Amino acid sequence: MHQDGGDAVRVILETKNRSKPFLPIEAESIIPRNFLKGTDLTVYEGNKERDLSELFWIFVEGTAVSPDKVEVVLKGDTARIKRVGEYMDTGAIRIVGNIGMHCGNFMSGGLIEIGGNADAWLGREMLDGSIICHGNAGHYCASGYRGEKHGMKGGRVEVMGNAGDFCAEYLTGGEVYIHGNCGDMAGVEMKGGHLIIGGDATRPCGNMKDGTCTIFGTVRRMLPTFKKIGMQLLPEPQITMEVYTGDIANRGKGTLMVKPFGSA
Amino acid sequence: MTELLVKNACVIDPLNRISMEIMDLPIRDGRIVESVSSVADVIDAQGCLTLPGGIDSHSHVCGTKVNFGRYMSPEDMRAGRTARRGKMHVTSGYYVPTTFGNSYRYSTMGYTTVLEGAMAPLEARHTHEEFTATPHQDMMANTLFDGNWAIMEAVQKHDVRKAAAIVAWTLSAVKGYSIKLTNPGGTEAWGWGEDVSSVHEQVPNFNVTPAEIITTMIQANELLHLPHSVHLHCNNLGKPGNFQTTLETFDLVPDSNNGRQTLYATHVQFHAYGGTTWQNINSKAEEISRSVNAKPQIVMDMGQIMFGRTMTMTADGPMEFNLYRLHHNKWSNHDVELETGSGIIPVLYSKKSLVNCVMWAIGLELALLTKNPYQCLLATDNPNGAPFVKYPEIIGLLMSKRYRDEECATLHSGTGQRTVISSIDREMDWNEIAIMTRAGQAKALGIITQGKGHLGLGAEADVAIYPIRCRDVDPSTEYRKVTEGFQKTMYTIKRGRVIARNGEVIVEGANSTFWVNPSVPEEINVADDPEFVKKFKEYYTVRMSNYPVQDVYLPRGKCIRTEAMR
Repeated sequence: MHQDGGDAVRVILETKNRSKPFLPIEAESIIPRNFLKGTDLTVYEGNKERDLSELFWIFVEGTAVSPDKVEVVLKGDTARIKRVGEYMDTGAIRIVGNIGMHCGNFMSGGLIEIGGNADAWLGREMLDGSIICHGNAGHYCASGYRGEKHGMKGGRVEVMGNAGDFCAEYLTGGEVYIHGNCGDMAGVEMKGGHLIIGGDATRPCGNMKDGTCTIFGTVRRMLPTFKKIGMQLLPEPQITMEVYTGDIANRGKGTLMVKPFGSA
Repeated sequence: MTELLVKNACVIDPLNRISMEIMDLPIRDGRIVESVSSVADVIDAQGCLTLPGGIDSHSHVCGTKVNFGRYMSPEDMRAGRTARRGKMHVTSGYYVPTTFGNSYRYSTMGYTTVLEGAMAPLEARHTHEEFTATPHQDMMANTLFDGNWAIMEAVQKHDVRKAAAIVAWTLSAVKGYSIKLTNPGGTEAWGWGEDVSSVHEQVPNFNVTPAEIITTMIQANELLHLPHSVHLHCNNLGKPGNFQTTLETFDLVPDSNNGRQTLYATHVQFHAYGGTTWQNINSKAEEISRSVNAKPQIVMDMGQIMFGRTMTMTADGPMEFNLYRLHHNKWSNHDVELETGSGIIPVLYSKKSLVNCVMWAIGLELALLTKNPYQCLLATDNPNGAPFVKYPEIIGLLMSKRYRDEECATLHSGTGQRTVISSIDREMDWNEIAIMTRAGQAKALGIITQGKGHLGLGAEADVAIYPIRCRDVDPSTEYRKVTEGFQKTMYTIKRGRVIARNGEVIVEGANSTFWVNPSVPEEINVADDPEFVKKFKEYYTVRMSNYPVQDVYLPRGKCIRTEAMR
């Protein structure tokens, strides 16, 4: 489609059949910028380094001179490919099916669109750019890594389905929008940014320091260390929400907005 | 029979009074010998600086406390990652690396012997397991006695022989090397939410003072003829004004051993603060070093801090809680039954912090103001002051006034008023550095007789060859060459075997663990003392018969026997 324009390139990577399809592939090299100079990249399959062409059928359409015009499309059995889009700063990655863990780590620009589900650590410690996942996301979506004090610092993550436990843990900036339900401990240790949950959540925002969390579904096991400070009518959708501040157990100044019990 | 000949080595060996002599080192079966046959392997040192293997006399690298630091800081494992390569295992971590990480980094810096600074006796098995997994360094374990109930009861009754007997039984049971006192009495008091703030304050429930514990343990140590002296972490660590406590402690120490010091005071930098609050903290390194200069019975180590991120870990529980209240970061405290406790928190030493800058200066001042380098050894209390990989920078700072001035210019502007570092002109020479990093340590730890710390005939062939032509390099101006050179040896030789070459470890390690078995007269052996046995049964969670560490935990243990009270 962009064959002669010279202003955009689309790289399609379609997985080949593998003799050991459960071996994870570590593919931090799959970011748009790397495809400007061709497709001569390597990834790890288990502990073996492989050429991209050993694992994928590669189709390149068009040419481009700047990385923001590069689009990478992943097709086939991609559920065990990890670290796709790590440190990506521009361009786009579209994944037709499911994607493995750590997709979009440290991403600082561009777009990742996932047609299926994403595994754990989607958009971990992300700085900017956006991720849209049309299916469900695993645990630790948009969070920090083990022991780290800052999670996602900027950008936007939108998940159309549900997210697992510890969604937006240590969220420090940016916006996380989960249309479905979240698992346990969403927004725990939040330090900034905005977490919006369309569905239900359990024990949200423990030890929250700052930032805002809005939950439109049912909150189960609401933590007792949040203090109600009033009601607020949201501009869009027009719902009156109960506003809490906390987590006061540790002098947090976060805002937690919850739909009043029994309202439609 | 394996033979090795190191040719054209520029040897500095302070214990044998060899200073920058170009000579050959013949090695047979892991020992330095007179000569070797013509079929020996030959290493050409090309006139480069050749020293006995480095010795770290106070470092926290193995045991439960270090491991807890590892699991508290999974984020540290994202740093320093290296893949498996040749004989090297994967490693990760920067300030609390994996055991192999520690071992490889020490090896590439030319260090072949390390003393683990604090081992809780009850948790000795774990420490010994990690010693085995630190394969390129010979290890020793300081054994904690600071809050030991049986010891404190003996101290209360002024029964030195009983205290000595308890030490003897415990050291041989847990395969420890020496007596460590960490904030004596304070860690026990912390079990009740308190601390002791001077050496003459009573420890709750025991009716003893830290001063009594220290003096009794020094006597017990000498009674048992242990190779090392009492290893003391003074009370009041890290509190402004604590230099008074440190001076009072030093005044307690008699000179009762001709071969070595009677007290090893560790990480003295943390104990040399003047002022009354963090706002007016200042350096009292001059007072401390004046006291040490007048007391040959005391050896200290610097406890230098270097700027950057690290982890503090010590058996001093109350001190770590105070640090936690300053930083509000992660914190852990731990109680070890009748014996001791511990605390761990991560820290960031910053040049923007006046307190940190003063601390940095105090460590260097202590080293530079102490006249005899055998009395102030180079250590950072790894990883409390800085990870040991910073030692080469400290060597550079000690050898170059210009380097110190350049660093001082980048510090907080208030540092000059609180410290004397900029007025000290002393620049250490190669010989003094060799003393501060190996000869002094070997003497202080009492392992010269084990063939450590020197390259004389019969010495263990632990040799470090650094890519520094010390006759051509002027350390005071070319300090970068010095720090780079000390970071990576050309060859590190351990027991006659080349273990590291240009920063690569090339063999599987086979270290030893030194431990001490002091024999005491039958009539005072505590294993047969009904009161000791009864208390053990009542208060410990393990049976006395299950307490001793089995030999299987020390695959290459080396027992040093001493005869007590003869």
